[in-house]
Amino acid sequence: MRILLPSLFVFVFFGCASYPKKNGFQSIETIPKKILNPYFSDISNDYVYKAKIEAFDKTFGGLFIVKKLGPGHHRLVFTTELGNTIFDFTFQGDDFKVNRILKEMDRQLLINILKRDFKALIEEHPQILQTFERKGDTVYATKILSKKHYFYYSKGHLNTIARVKHGKEKVIILFSKIKNSLSEEVQIFHKTFPLTIKLNGI
Amino acid sequence: MDKILGFSVILASRLPSRQVSAGIFASLLLNFFATSMLSAQINMSTTEAKALKTSVKQQADATTTITSDFTQYKHLDFLSDDIKSKGELAFKAPDLVKWEYIQPFSYSIIFKNQTLYINDDGDKSDMDVGGNKIFTQLNQLITASIRGDLFDDDQFDISYFKKDGNSLVHFLPKDPQFAEFIKAFHMTFNPTGEVIEVKMIEPSDDYTQIVFSGRETNQPLSDADFTP
Repeated sequence: MRILLPSLFVFVFFGCASYPKKNGFQSIETIPKKILNPYFSDISNDYVYKAKIEAFDKTFGGLFIVKKLGPGHHRLVFTTELGNTIFDFTFQGDDFKVNRILKEMDRQLLINILKRDFKALIEEHPQILQTFERKGDTVYATKILSKKHYFYYSKGHLNTIARVKHGKEKVIILFSKIKNSLSEEVQIFHKTFPLTIKLNGI
Repeated sequence: MDKILGFSVILASRLPSRQVSAGIFASLLLNFFATSMLSAQINMSTTEAKALKTSVKQQADATTTITSDFTQYKHLDFLSDDIKSKGELAFKAPDLVKWEYIQPFSYSIIFKNQTLYINDDGDKSDMDVGGNKIFTQLNQLITASIRGDLFDDDQFDISYFKKDGNSLVHFLPKDPQFAEFIKAFHMTFNPTGEVIEVKMIEPSDDYTQIVFSGRETNQPLSDADFTP
């Protein structure tokens, strides 16, 4: 017991060390930021991407469409190249609505995964819990749908959103080819589930 | 139309007298255009519908191959603009179809021996759709749409119209499972009975419109033209 307790302490301390600690983040003062994610924030823009979804060794192609319809209000649609709708979701404030989903995909588990991924993808100003600095980059700890999300800023641009649970990354969203508040390339990787979504602006 | 007329009257009543006549004139003009717009699509008689079916069937039977360019417009009500893509299609009787998008992305799909062959910008995959009712029907529909020979009363409620010198046919799938996927097909035929436009309407009323151009028939096509 004497030996067990200290080793348990060591395990708890290092094994469950917080995500910021593990990654060497330095806490800094939070300066309120109006928009944390600008990539789907322009109401006049139709965001259209060619999409590749890889799930369980299968690949599906299609068009991924995002439209901002008002403050905190987005519509997200995935169609085949031929134009048939696979799913169609609305995010409005705290509400989430499935307007349409292909019967074969109408599974609550899958819908919940997509809901979490897409909410994190489009959320413009989540509540900032804490701000960190790492090697000149700024990292914002936020909460989206009651889960911790870290927004990584480098050279003034948001390049990564990491969803973290128990100090471990579960989902990574990468933004690249950034031009004028538009991310031409977006990739969503799941680390504990065989699902990857790759989007290329068209 | 009542709305247009009502609006014109209100408009006229608020104008000084000299402008009133101009207002009435504008309203008459508006109503004239509204009427002619409404009359642009009129029902076909049974005889005319029969004649169309015969000419399309003859056209389809005499067709061994088709190549055509197409422009696709994906309309979603909430978007500012339709999503436009362009490509080429090739058909070889009885049921080989290659549908290839070139702009703004590279993607092709081949229907061959109950299998879908997909080439997504170099990533190749295939899918056995023999056992999938929706895909089998979709394949039949795509083949039939290209040839124009979709007149199956068992599968569709069909209505016939004349529009701008062409024929417009509405096909409403009878199978509820299919209707959940596509609510209606609207096909436009030119006077020689060739398909020039297909509109696939979803239950939400959003639609995909495909406009064909540069169609060539009965040019030799080899099986190599249908390799993924």
